[in-house]
Amino acid sequence: MLPTRSTHSSSSARKGGARTAGSPRPPSARRRREILHAYLFLLPGFALFALTILYPIVRAFQISLFHWAIVPGTASTFLGLQNYAHALHDPIFWRALANSGFYMAITVPSQIVLGLLAAVMLDARMPARAIFRTLYYLPVVTSWVVVSLVFRYLFITEGGLVNWILHDTLHLVPTNINWLGARWSAMVALGILGTWKGVGWSMVVFLAALQGVPKALHEAAAVDGARAWDRFVAVSLPAIRPVVAFVTVLLVIGGFNVFISVYLMTGGGPVDQTQVLLSYMYRQAFSFLDFGYGSAISFLLTLIVFVISLAQMRLFRRPAGAS
Amino acid sequence: MRNRRPFIWLALAALLAGLATAQANTTVTFWTAYSSDGPEVKQLETVIIPAFEKAHPDITVKHVAIPYNDLHQKLVTAVAGGQLPDLVRSDIIWVPELANLGVLAPLDTSMSDFKSLADSVFPGPLATNYWKGHYYGLPLDTNTRIWVYDPATLTKLGMSGPPKTFDELKSMAAAAKAKGVYLYAEGGTGGWNILPWIWSGGGSLTNDTYTKASGYLDGPKSVAAVQMLVDLYKADEMPNIIVNPNGGLGTYDGIFQGKYASTLDGPWMFAIFGGAHPDTKLEGSLIPAGPGGSISVVGGEDIVMTQQSKNKAAAEAFLRFLLSDEAQRAMAQAGQMPVLKSADSWLPSIHDYYATYLKQIATARPRTPTPKWPQIDQVLNTEIAKAFQGSETVQQALTNAAHQIDALLQ
Amino acid sequence: MVVGDRNQRRALMALRLILLTAGVVVMLLPFAYMVSTSFKPNAMVLEIPVKFFPQHPTVANYVTAWTSNRFARYFLNSVVVAIGTTLAALLLSSMMAYAFARFRFPGRSILFGLILIALMVPTMMMLIPQFLLARDLHLLNSLWGLVAFYTGGNLGFNTFLLHSFFQDIPSELEEAMVVDGAGPWTRYWRLILPLARPALATAAIFTFLGAWDEFTWALTIINDPSKYTLPIAIALFQGQHSTSWGLVFAASVIAIAPVLVIFAIFQRQFVAGIAAGAVKA
Repeated sequence: MLPTRSTHSSSSARKGGARTAGSPRPPSARRRREILHAYLFLLPGFALFALTILYPIVRAFQISLFHWAIVPGTASTFLGLQNYAHALHDPIFWRALANSGFYMAITVPSQIVLGLLAAVMLDARMPARAIFRTLYYLPVVTSWVVVSLVFRYLFITEGGLVNWILHDTLHLVPTNINWLGARWSAMVALGILGTWKGVGWSMVVFLAALQGVPKALHEAAAVDGARAWDRFVAVSLPAIRPVVAFVTVLLVIGGFNVFISVYLMTGGGPVDQTQVLLSYMYRQAFSFLDFGYGSAISFLLTLIVFVISLAQMRLFRRPAGAS
Repeated sequence: MRNRRPFIWLALAALLAGLATAQANTTVTFWTAYSSDGPEVKQLETVIIPAFEKAHPDITVKHVAIPYNDLHQKLVTAVAGGQLPDLVRSDIIWVPELANLGVLAPLDTSMSDFKSLADSVFPGPLATNYWKGHYYGLPLDTNTRIWVYDPATLTKLGMSGPPKTFDELKSMAAAAKAKGVYLYAEGGTGGWNILPWIWSGGGSLTNDTYTKASGYLDGPKSVAAVQMLVDLYKADEMPNIIVNPNGGLGTYDGIFQGKYASTLDGPWMFAIFGGAHPDTKLEGSLIPAGPGGSISVVGGEDIVMTQQSKNKAAAEAFLRFLLSDEAQRAMAQAGQMPVLKSADSWLPSIHDYYATYLKQIATARPRTPTPKWPQIDQVLNTEIAKAFQGSETVQQALTNAAHQIDALLQ
Repeated sequence: MVVGDRNQRRALMALRLILLTAGVVVMLLPFAYMVSTSFKPNAMVLEIPVKFFPQHPTVANYVTAWTSNRFARYFLNSVVVAIGTTLAALLLSSMMAYAFARFRFPGRSILFGLILIALMVPTMMMLIPQFLLARDLHLLNSLWGLVAFYTGGNLGFNTFLLHSFFQDIPSELEEAMVVDGAGPWTRYWRLILPLARPALATAAIFTFLGAWDEFTWALTIINDPSKYTLPIAIALFQGQHSTSWGLVFAASVIAIAPVLVIFAIFQRQFVAGIAAGAVKA
């Protein structure tokens, strides 16, 4: 997903083209044929891509400038940037943004630390390594709908497993916690789900990166008498730094994209306390039919995601991708 | 609107239309929120629809049950997409909104026998179909909330019967709390949940012409009624599901487990409970009376036909059948109160709990009939919850709510 | 000293195993609890104390889900949509990737750049305009609408993934075919695709899973229960008054079983796919 190779990729094509120069046709005709073929290969896929992805992206901005009339026969009113102004004065929008931030504050560091920890522990010859890796990855491949319903069930106040463990078994809390009934505890529950579901992914990416660290570096450090922890800090960590950056960017973007778990676990409630940007957008569009305002919210989200990804890439310098 | 469909679509549509007419069998699609965890869906799909299809062999009824919490959103999305079904069993509070969007067929002009059908039903439920000069539907069922309790739990608490007044409610809730039971559980802070208390307390949501909430919703009697509930909640004499309908122990499960003694609910609760927990016998009584009496909230569903329905004649036939004595009796078995005037005579003989409902509904009031009701309800939900969570006083919360509702009523 | 070293290493390994096992318990607990609940009769579902092994286990929930709640139908819909999406997305994206990897043509870097930029745009941002588009194309409430938009949504990432793989295929092989007179279609079909089988497998798995699990788009455009896919059927499968958790989880187990089977079989491709540049979540 990172544009590292695209810039210098035309060399092979050029080479391939040059070799066919043995044919008697003049270069211009051959070029034309090549271009024609290229477009033919591109056409069906790119047409669908343009129709279902590019056009909607542009259209989203257009809609966000209108009070968009949904019912046939009524006219849309041009509002300019009024939907955006509305968002900036809408306390629920800001709350949703804060909730998204809080969600990331839980899920991003925890997935990095726990994923790295698991990867480091698995980066050695040890029994049942493949089994561990598989089991950690299991939540990643499981549907968001299913895990959201499971976690809603786990966090039920009376009779839920989490409270049963915390209250009835370990007596860590004096009363059952009303997890999904208050803003912050609900956001914590959502964050726990996000971490649980995602940690296997960051672990696999980190593990692949760690295995790419040249053994010679480790051995050299070992000869110098460095302990395992020092070796990790001095050798492994710098080597996988670009991957850590890359994972961070994707986790932040993923954090902004959280929707299904919120929709199914709290529905944005109680009373809009746990709305995140996307759940609030969905509600505005598909419960209140305010497509213009919904589009404005999602466009703002896209801008934020763009700015953050660019800033992070700048900050961590050119991330080499995990390849 | 925009007809840029390529030729191939036209050809395909023509082909499909040809196929459809060749079959000669019309399908009427009917969306409801009948619950599949109770007998409602079963009664509709195994009794009513087969009976109708037998009488009308050329019509097939396709019933789609959507959970109540999702139905409004599904309807709105379907409006946007032009995907509405032929008939909808709509909550009475959504009819003005849908009518205002222009997606409903005005039955008073499109149905030739509308007048005789309208005359056969109670005027109160019929009025919920009226919007700006037309009737956009007919009532299908009506209901209200009464005090529903498990007498076995009350006996365990040493109580002889349900509370009859606000004062009894307060003292009994404290006594029940001492024994680890919640006397009264409520599953939200919306109009459906809170208005019975405001009205029974002598307060109101708006003036009589539904144009203003300030001075009514935040008047002293309304505030006192909500304050009573907030006091109960703060003393831990009401469970947290009032601010947390998602994560807490639901009223049904709580009453079954003996952790809650009572709630307010409609007649379907008896039907669903009877199916799920046949050993628990629930009973009903009037809502505890306050300074304003015992005033509950009118609920119910209307049946509406959409403008885009291509099978209006068939849809009308099914609509007519749903209002027949036969169909209304069948749904009454499943806890759906009929709307036929003639039902008064036979209803209590179907289930004895209906007697209390009939008594309660005589004085029950409707929620504000306006297309903005979903937004108003959202305001009530949000603001009153703040009072329960303690971030605002009841007076602050209701004043804020009243201001927002004023704007919505403009 | 050597002995001490070995003991230390053993202790370290034991610690590792203990920590990793603790992690596995946390990972598996929700699954175990879900499966256990799916075998419980409804009245026992929220019992305290919690029981992991139901006292009166029953398969009634599975029977109900599969028979009276038409989950067989939803399962079939999901299969059709996921396979249709996978085939279409693989064909179209591999063609695009081939064009980008092996041809020079005007607009090449602009088009490729558009694909990369679109990858950064949150999918949900397009939901509203996609909904309006699907309405105008008469694709609402149809499985075709799912396949078309799922395919479109998968093209960007797959093209990117396959493009980098295609570039690593030595061009000498293709040049040999050119000498034999093979045109670009033959080279694409006979040479590139067979050689790219591992990358295609990775792309196929992720596309299939994405389509199998997709929720939001299906929730938004599908109304007719006969066209439900498994995720919406499960999410909309909650009672109005109380949720039959046993039934919900029986349906969930039915929905995730094929995913787990695929995962178990194709683990290698999963790991390869993630390592090859990570997957858009």
